[in-house]
Amino acid sequence: MSAETVHTIIDDLGALLLFTMILIVAAGQIYRAIYAVAAQSLLIAIAGAVLATATGNVDLWVIAAVTLAVKATLLPWVLHWVVQRMNVRREVEPVIPIAATLALAVLIVVMSFQLSASLGPVRQAITGNALPVGIALTLTGVLVMATRKTALTQMVGLFASENGIFFTAMAVSQGMPLIIEIGVILDVILAALVMTIMVLRVRSTVDADIADLERLRG
Amino acid sequence: MAETLLWVLPLVPTVTALAMLTTRDRRILSMMDVSGSSVLLALTLVLAREVAAGGPQALGVLRIDDLGLVFLVLLVVLTLAVSIYTIGWLKQAVAVGNMKAEYLRSYFALVHAFVATMVVTVLADNLGVLWIAMEGTTITSAVLVGYHGHHHGLEAAWKYIIVTTIGISFGLFGTVLIYAAAAAAGLQGSAGALSWSAIMTVAPTLDPGIVRIGFIFVMIGYGTKAGLAPMHLWLPDAHSQAPTPVSALLSGVLIKCALLGIIRFQTIAAAACGPGFPAGVLLVFGLVSVVVATPFILAQHDLKRLLGYHSVEHVGIVALGLGFGGKVGTYGALLHVVNHGITKALAFFAAGKAIARYGSRDMRVIRGLLAVAPIGATLLMLAALSLAGMPPFAIFISELMVLRAGIGHGHWVAVAIFLAMVVVIFAGLLHHAGAMAFGEPTPAAGREPETWSPLLGMILLAAIMVLLGLTIPPSFDRLLQRATEIIVD
Repeated sequence: MSAETVHTIIDDLGALLLFTMILIVAAGQIYRAIYAVAAQSLLIAIAGAVLATATGNVDLWVIAAVTLAVKATLLPWVLHWVVQRMNVRREVEPVIPIAATLALAVLIVVMSFQLSASLGPVRQAITGNALPVGIALTLTGVLVMATRKTALTQMVGLFASENGIFFTAMAVSQGMPLIIEIGVILDVILAALVMTIMVLRVRSTVDADIADLERLRG
Repeated sequence: MAETLLWVLPLVPTVTALAMLTTRDRRILSMMDVSGSSVLLALTLVLAREVAAGGPQALGVLRIDDLGLVFLVLLVVLTLAVSIYTIGWLKQAVAVGNMKAEYLRSYFALVHAFVATMVVTVLADNLGVLWIAMEGTTITSAVLVGYHGHHHGLEAAWKYIIVTTIGISFGLFGTVLIYAAAAAAGLQGSAGALSWSAIMTVAPTLDPGIVRIGFIFVMIGYGTKAGLAPMHLWLPDAHSQAPTPVSALLSGVLIKCALLGIIRFQTIAAAACGPGFPAGVLLVFGLVSVVVATPFILAQHDLKRLLGYHSVEHVGIVALGLGFGGKVGTYGALLHVVNHGITKALAFFAAGKAIARYGSRDMRVIRGLLAVAPIGATLLMLAALSLAGMPPFAIFISELMVLRAGIGHGHWVAVAIFLAMVVVIFAGLLHHAGAMAFGEPTPAAGREPETWSPLLGMILLAAIMVLLGLTIPPSFDRLLQRATEIIVD
């Protein structure tokens, strides 16, 4: 694959990633957000495979496989399982209207591209538009976490945010060291596990969403 | 020899944690707790001597220099004090049903796992390992914050894990950006471009644009973990809801480990885009923290929340010291890290005992402590006086240094705001502490005698606090000097 082709593919994948992010922000039901974040992780895995073919970096194959197994399959499955177990088909409960969140998301995307356009030589160290897309995904993920009141939607925002970081990290010319990426993924799994336990624990004791508790103030 | 110690050090609490899973007996667990912490302290002192004699030691992704050593010493001293305090604290907590006897081993194991992750953050040379260990501290301590299992604790734990995890992912993004800059500057080998010591050798040639963005991401990321405002929202909840020994570790050590992370990136950013840029960012966050914490300290009724907000203020002061910069400001900031760590742990210990005695965390209920628990009340007063910045205690010295650096570099507005806030907090804190210590004891006051183990842990810290206020031992002074040179250079 020529460098040009890789650029094009990464840029196309970046566009698709932003599209899945819009789906997450716009999702009115928790199921849709979970499916969207799973699709997003799948795209990250594909990006990893493309970059692995292009650079011949074996580590990237491993990272792509782990991403596929953990972030595109395992974590969405856990979220799905929790939703069913809690047996609440609650909406995502935005703090501000979804339309307003979408407008903010668009603003973030534009700003990210502006920001990275202002950067000079380092852009060559990162393939294509991976940097602005990564920044946009990370910030939009935070936006989702800040504007949703249910715990599971906040977790979806967190995973989307991590996806953005992974996308940029993969596209850095030599790729992040494998051991670091594995460590990061391990941390994500553990954090998701602890969060899931907390959500279920609160649900079983006070029948409320953990993110909705607001007794600690001042 | 010293290189071997680098990987033995995080292994000690890990092995202790695993060994603790084998027994349920409270006495044996406490014994293992204290001995594990003592071994950690002893090995650290050996390592400190090696570093003083032979300079920085490195092994793979781990490295220790004088800067890391300052934080490591604070970490192990507080861990030992916490272990001693825990003996008596736990006995009482089990007796009144705050801690369930059958889950004790997992509590102890988690505390030591938490300590192990913090040791790795201090020793990490590889910035990726630094991040992984930092997230590891979040996961282990989040479980501890919610350990009491009631929904207040779980609410605090959720807020803590969500806010810091998202904050830390900013830190990871910043790390990736710095890594990209280092890779572009020609650092070879994927591990080399993440190694702090390797990046420092090429730091002046890094692209300033991307380092600037990277540093801001890192500042927000690790700043969240350090409890800098406005990312501090998790801190008062987590520090107030956690079991007291864990509060002491969170406030005394964990937020300092995050500060060390910030300092590592500050040195890179200072070399790449000039010292003015990171200093400016640190100044802004420091000032915001000091200002934001003040009203909450004045209006607070919950004793442990008060101490939590107070940590926000003091982390702000450290950031101000680093921001003012120069030898004096940086030395003051590092000294303040140690002083605040020791003093705040002491304050949490004393507060924990007072809360247990009155069965309430409301400061309006805690009255006349001096009459029912004279030693505990004296220690609480000492800690409060020191926290407020009274001479001759340690914090007064380091705050003065930070102030002098600010005046010396002509940051008049920052100095004025800083001074105003410190004076207001001084008055507020002394009012709270005085009201708790003096007066007639409320009927809620327990009158059981004070026990040796919590007191021993507290007196150990109080002795260090008083000593550091009167004089800084020459060997410690040299350590701080060398650490300062690493940052300022």
